[in-house]
Amino acid sequence: MNKEIFSEIPMRTWNWLGVNEATVDKDLLVESQKLDIDIEADHHEKMVVEYRKESYGIVNISIGENASLKLTQLQLMPEERNHANEVNIVLEKKARLQLVAVETGAKSFASKVNIILKGDKSQADVSVLYFGDGDRSLDMNYVLDFQGRKTVGNLEVYGGLMGESQKIFRGTLDFKQGSKQAKGYEKENVVVLSKGVRNRSVPIMLSGEDDVVGNHAVSSGKINEDKLHYLMSRGLSPAEARKLVLEAAFNPVLELIEDEVLRQEIDSYIKERLENE
Amino acid sequence: MAQEKTYIEDIERTLYDIKNVDKSKYKSQSGLTEDIIRDISARKNDPEWMLEFRLKSLEVYNQLSLPNWGPDLSELNMDEIVTYVQPDAKMTGSWDEVPEDIKDTFDRLGIPEAEQTSLAGVGAQYDSEVVYHSIQEDLVKQGVIYTDMETALHEHEEIVRDHFMKLVPPKDHKFAALHGAVWSGGSFVYVPEGVHVEIPLQSYFRLNAAGAGQFEHTLIIVEKNASLHFIEGCSAPKYNVTNLHAGCVELFVNDGARLRYSTIENWSRNMMNLNTKRAVVGKDGVIEWVSGSFGSHVSMLYPCSVLKGENAKCEFTGVTFASKGQNLDTGASVIHCAPHTSANISTRTISKAGGKATYRSAVKVTKNAPYAKCSVNCESLMLDDISRSDTLPTMDIEGDEADIGHEATIGRISDEAIFYLMSRGISEDEARSMIVRGFVEPIAKELPLEYAVEMNNLVNIELEGTMG
Repeated sequence: MNKEIFSEIPMRTWNWLGVNEATVDKDLLVESQKLDIDIEADHHEKMVVEYRKESYGIVNISIGENASLKLTQLQLMPEERNHANEVNIVLEKKARLQLVAVETGAKSFASKVNIILKGDKSQADVSVLYFGDGDRSLDMNYVLDFQGRKTVGNLEVYGGLMGESQKIFRGTLDFKQGSKQAKGYEKENVVVLSKGVRNRSVPIMLSGEDDVVGNHAVSSGKINEDKLHYLMSRGLSPAEARKLVLEAAFNPVLELIEDEVLRQEIDSYIKERLENE
Repeated sequence: MAQEKTYIEDIERTLYDIKNVDKSKYKSQSGLTEDIIRDISARKNDPEWMLEFRLKSLEVYNQLSLPNWGPDLSELNMDEIVTYVQPDAKMTGSWDEVPEDIKDTFDRLGIPEAEQTSLAGVGAQYDSEVVYHSIQEDLVKQGVIYTDMETALHEHEEIVRDHFMKLVPPKDHKFAALHGAVWSGGSFVYVPEGVHVEIPLQSYFRLNAAGAGQFEHTLIIVEKNASLHFIEGCSAPKYNVTNLHAGCVELFVNDGARLRYSTIENWSRNMMNLNTKRAVVGKDGVIEWVSGSFGSHVSMLYPCSVLKGENAKCEFTGVTFASKGQNLDTGASVIHCAPHTSANISTRTISKAGGKATYRSAVKVTKNAPYAKCSVNCESLMLDDISRSDTLPTMDIEGDEADIGHEATIGRISDEAIFYLMSRGISEDEARSMIVRGFVEPIAKELPLEYAVEMNNLVNIELEGTMG
């Protein structure tokens, strides 16, 4: 199979960990759905991008001064298909971005997101939900590049893994020299539901500037037993209790999806998979 | 008005930078060839299998590439490195028999004094050979062996053969292969079952020759339910040519045993420190690493713990201080291979004056390690905006029963904390000093006393001007 490097982490680590780069089939990248968008200064937009059949999608966005964008990107590919997607966003002075990314489809997918906080006081809030089951492969690489002063970047990631799924999540906060008083925060919470899962996390923090505050945290574990017992003591079956706990874990992202129909679709999709487990 | 920065002095290096005239008895040619390896092996009177091991390692070295990650190593030219420097001194158990200039060096470093007051045994290596080794008589009576690697290779050949580079095979990476080819000196420790060595043993490695490499091998075996605290120190004077340190440490901590391995690395700023350390821990065993990285021009050092037995534990506490001209890439890795294994990694890094500090870690939980627990905490303090501080952890977890947590922070001294302390009547200078001391305190308290004092030199703060 012809493979091509699709994305790389900004700073390499031990090769034996297998996280330095993501490779995808070359064929996958032949046809792409491409979107180039400029949000003009002082404009405020909302956008929803859905991937249901496209093998490769690219979204390039620039957000002008004082402008804002809420971008909801849903990857709902059929489970037998492979997929790759790419998002590149540049924020000018005081621009705001809210990115809600849901990665629940495809047999194997790779996504890369590069957000450049170029303008002073620009801010990006990124919320990611991923869910893997069966023998699916999930590969994500998110980079928040802090260049302007007083920039703010938050990356919150919620994941669920079951079956024999394999996932790599790479999240980088990169504070460039000059990004004075920037603040960055990254959090990944992973709930693991099956013994066959392989879960890899690479939370990177790079800094060439002292006057910044950066924090990252990752937690990975099974569903909290106490919560399950409590719910089961209230009459729920073990499967129902697990569903409820997972739904609660995903809620911080799901509630950001404004379209009720889409939200229900994702919710049902995850429930169905949990029931089939 | 431009803000002035907190100024933290570098470690006082005068003590370490005193050079002795090179009176070596023999030096190999610079570079790395089969003839050089054969010559080193013959001079050391290696058994045949060790010569073969060295030559195979050389083959591996020539096959492997430099790592494509981590600091730039292009300054290192092996053709210019002298891999074996034999000092004009025989290994002895009496400081009186050590040549005056070498003894003076170790006196200045406080080794004989520490031996009298707080150590149960001392090993002192000068360039490529150990020149002094001692151990308290009562430990010998209990069956404890503490000697140089060359003596161990001849007097305890089977044990060495069973363990030597089994944890760190030459194929592990290019500098492990280099070590396998040219290793010389180092310490061998064997603690029999049930024996507790209450007072630490210490080995000190001093590299005096310019343009040379030091490749000592440390092999420690702590048998079932035994315990040991081993301290390793190292330093070198500064030269204008590159020196190389590619040591190897292999630690075998058997069931129920406990080993604390403390290191203060204070190499000179022309040193490439490419060291490999690894421990394997049996059921209910404990490995504790305390690691301070202050010196060298470039460091790549990531002690690895393989938790092989059920309920094995690892504690890693490390501090790295990178200043001008330094690129210190340090961290730790833990591999959980058995149920109920646990690890706790806690590190602090400080960077200043253009120094680059990188924290790199790996936590691997295999399918065979249900109920594994691991907590990683990394805090980085930057003292100016011309330095770098990077954090690059990786977690690779198989199975659904592991409980893994990672936290990291990066930043500078908080103005709020300074204001708070000043509001309590503490001067600004003292407030800053307290904060930096507090930052490294979790590490300092784990160090042996003499090294804790050295750590205090680190936080000797001078303040200039206002809040930085």
